[in-house]
Amino acid sequence: MKLSDIDVAVIGSGPAGMAAAIRAKEEGAEHVLILERQEQLGGLLHQCVHNGFGLFYFEQDLTGPEYGHRFAEKVKDLGIQVLLETMVTQISPDRQVTAVNNREGVLRLKPKSIVLAMGCRERSRGQLNVPGTRPAGIFTAGTAQRFVNVEGWIPGKKVVILGSGDIGMIMARRLTLEGVEVKAVVEILPYIGGLTRNEVQCLHDFHIPLLLEHTVTQIHGQTRLEAVTIAKVNKDKKPVNGTEQMTECDTLLLSVGLIPENELSRMAGVALDPLTGGPVVNQWRETTVSGIFAGGNVVHVHDLVDNVSWEAEIAGAWAAKFARKEEMEKEKKILKPGRNIRYIVPQSISAQHDVTLYARVKDMEENVTLKVGDIFSESLRVVKPGEMLKIDLSHSQLRQLKDDAVELSIEGAKRRQNG
Amino acid sequence: MVEEKIVCIGCPLGCRTTLRINEQHEVVEITGYKCKEGRQYVLEEYRNPVRILTSTILTEKSGRPLLPVRTNRPILKSKLKEAALTLARVKARPPVKVGQVILPNLLNTGADIIATDDLFD
Repeated sequence: MKLSDIDVAVIGSGPAGMAAAIRAKEEGAEHVLILERQEQLGGLLHQCVHNGFGLFYFEQDLTGPEYGHRFAEKVKDLGIQVLLETMVTQISPDRQVTAVNNREGVLRLKPKSIVLAMGCRERSRGQLNVPGTRPAGIFTAGTAQRFVNVEGWIPGKKVVILGSGDIGMIMARRLTLEGVEVKAVVEILPYIGGLTRNEVQCLHDFHIPLLLEHTVTQIHGQTRLEAVTIAKVNKDKKPVNGTEQMTECDTLLLSVGLIPENELSRMAGVALDPLTGGPVVNQWRETTVSGIFAGGNVVHVHDLVDNVSWEAEIAGAWAAKFARKEEMEKEKKILKPGRNIRYIVPQSISAQHDVTLYARVKDMEENVTLKVGDIFSESLRVVKPGEMLKIDLSHSQLRQLKDDAVELSIEGAKRRQNG
Repeated sequence: MVEEKIVCIGCPLGCRTTLRINEQHEVVEITGYKCKEGRQYVLEEYRNPVRILTSTILTEKSGRPLLPVRTNRPILKSKLKEAALTLARVKARPPVKVGQVILPNLLNTGADIIATDDLFD
């Protein structure tokens, strides 16, 4: 394989990386290379054996492996080069990529453009400050998912799940069907972190208790986890004295959020947005470093895989255009999070083309109006932090923008009505 | 008269509805929904609650202990646990192609268990 004339190098081959590489190839890039640290294409899709993938992208209800299989076949058919079991260790601001594997040793390449598609990872116990001992039996939900669905190990017999993210709820169902007793899903907030669909089909279906406004305050056990203390929390998320209860369990799963994985981005000098944890990007998904693009969960954590692939396709298409030195719009309007908006992606847009914005709210509200400056407004019955907002704006709407910055906000919330 | 609570999953609102059921198992009243589609959903979910079952089965291939599988159509919710137990006794022998039937007519539900990934020799 010739590594000297790569047009587009894609880092990672999950639902973002494969979609970006395919799109780059279709856009005319001759030499597209995927660098993947695992032994096969697909990233985390292999362990996501549940369905719900591709409802929008393929208009079919697929499992993770099936969704990945479709992209992997296309990667093969299009003749996209793939380096498996290859770990990228460094990217420099001038797009030098260093990678290692046990066949070629250290590889150095200089692609014309790069797509970052490293995805995200889970928050772990160290980021939670749960007091107590440090016994075996505490896993992130995703690690347990890999054990159960890929390696063939059951992590324990009696399980408590802390956090109500989608992976945690999906593992509650999966473990129950494998004969494990799931004692409770414990959530510190007054509402679940994941999708309602998963609350119903993973928890209600199997009568698994959901404890909202509760948290784990103590870990018990020396060599193996023996129990956790669960307590109610007040409005400031502080445990309420006297509500503590010990629950016997040998396993605690953590489903407490995901963080975009951006060590390589930092090395490349890419500016990160503290609100998303991912690179600051424009509407072509170009980062602040020329020729380095990014898409999928490395940019911000999505709730649907379909949006991951769509976003990465934008990055792939423009990485291909950059590689053949096509000019990009220099005009830039900054998007600013207004009332009850946590973040917006992309962080800046050109006003000359249609664009889709993704945004997340801070708090749940009902009967509100979503506003983009004075060019767009839409009534929404409910907004929730766990469900991403998707806003399509046309170039004719965008041409009405006068200022260099525009605010996106949630307005006119009414109080929740009874009944 | 009994009450049954069903959460609608049609949209992010997640309406918490209550159904009142008479002795003949007929729905006499639904409250808590906010749209026509939601009413239809909870009625259907009460009468015929079905789910796609996804799982894994053991393989006869060394180095690849599990093959992911699913039902090719939804089955009754009440059959999920028994179906999962059935799959514990099924083994996949390579080669298997994605979509291939592994176990036809699971528990007489009319649904087949199909592979959701390839398993090569």
